[in-house]
Amino acid sequence: MNQGSASKDPEALQTLAGEYVLGTLAADEQAEVVQRLAHDPALQAAVDAWEQRLLPLAEHAAPQPPSPRLWSRIERSLGHQQQVPRTPWWQRLALWQGASAAGLAASLLLAGLLLTQQAPAPRYLVVLVAPGDNAAGWVVQASDARNIELIPLGQDQVPEGMVLQFWTKGEQWRAPVSLGLVKPAQQYRVPQQDLPPLEPNQLFELTLEKAGGSPTGRPTGPVKFIGRALKVI
Amino acid sequence: MNLPAPPFDFQVCLAACAQGDRRALQALYDHEGARLLGVARRIARDHATAEDILHDAFIRIWTGAASFDPARGSARGWVYSITRHLALNFVRDTRRETPLDDHEVTAVASLFAGFDEPQLWTGSARINRCVEQLQPAPQRCILHAYVDGCSHAEIAGLLGAPLGTVKAWIKRSLQALRECMA
Repeated sequence: MNQGSASKDPEALQTLAGEYVLGTLAADEQAEVVQRLAHDPALQAAVDAWEQRLLPLAEHAAPQPPSPRLWSRIERSLGHQQQVPRTPWWQRLALWQGASAAGLAASLLLAGLLLTQQAPAPRYLVVLVAPGDNAAGWVVQASDARNIELIPLGQDQVPEGMVLQFWTKGEQWRAPVSLGLVKPAQQYRVPQQDLPPLEPNQLFELTLEKAGGSPTGRPTGPVKFIGRALKVI
Repeated sequence: MNLPAPPFDFQVCLAACAQGDRRALQALYDHEGARLLGVARRIARDHATAEDILHDAFIRIWTGAASFDPARGSARGWVYSITRHLALNFVRDTRRETPLDDHEVTAVASLFAGFDEPQLWTGSARINRCVEQLQPAPQRCILHAYVDGCSHAEIAGLLGAPLGTVKAWIKRSLQALRECMA
């Protein structure tokens, strides 16, 4: 396939794109198309259109049940993969949406906790939920920034050599601040440190980090639990 | 074969994958894995190889989910094109560019027997109607290429047609399909 003619002649471009999607290009032609796709919007648009056009033909291939081990193999390989580009957790929209979705659960739990609460009453409560399923895992109670307590609701475990690190971030803060390392299923009182006053909607979360905590001072591992502060009236 | 498409939001799924949600990837695997494996299996013609391809496809879906651009096409199409191109690259690297011998033609042709079954053409997709309007030989060229990942030379062997004729059929069929779908 002549590149020059394909660039000028729309019909040649369509044929090139169509054969690329069909899969009939020889190895060198195919490599050429792949290379051009990165910087040739016309070819890219033609290929995209052919992909959509021909897609229903894939139904001519009968489904084949994968062997039971295939998914675990994929899952193992994922462990070595770095997703690109990665967005810091505090900028991830879905996480915030998930955290807000936990609001109802939070207020229900809050009502229960208030009934059993000793003075001084907490002024803020946070229910930390697992990002995927919104299952509540921890509750944070705080009367002020100097008295923050983390209470486990379940018996979650952490892989060998890993720890949970507790973080918080106010809405105007540039980055999260570490509140220390947490042992699974154990109550934790945050040591006094110089934190700005607590605010409604302040984010709290637990990430999985290597033993000793995040080496960068910012969360690096996956978010295990996350939630926002609710002000108790 | 016309598979019903249960409601599954591929785009939401990819967005969740891009945010590191492994459960979203697993949901995609549970929902579409068998169909994607079927696609890879037809092209690779070997189950174990097809599973290797599906494995690589899911890793690529996971690492590349953030680069999916809905303006360029459907999320489902993106997932299929990753899988198909991995399978096509595999056969391109391993299969030679010469016509099949008689023994191979018989073996490969038996895989394709399904194309002559009328129920294959009950699909509601417009592309099926358009392919149906092609002459029988060009029709088989398109399907052997797309579904079976056959090269020009392999199709020539299967159809007992000269290589140049097969290339011309495919080129003309692509033009006809594009006009038919316009």
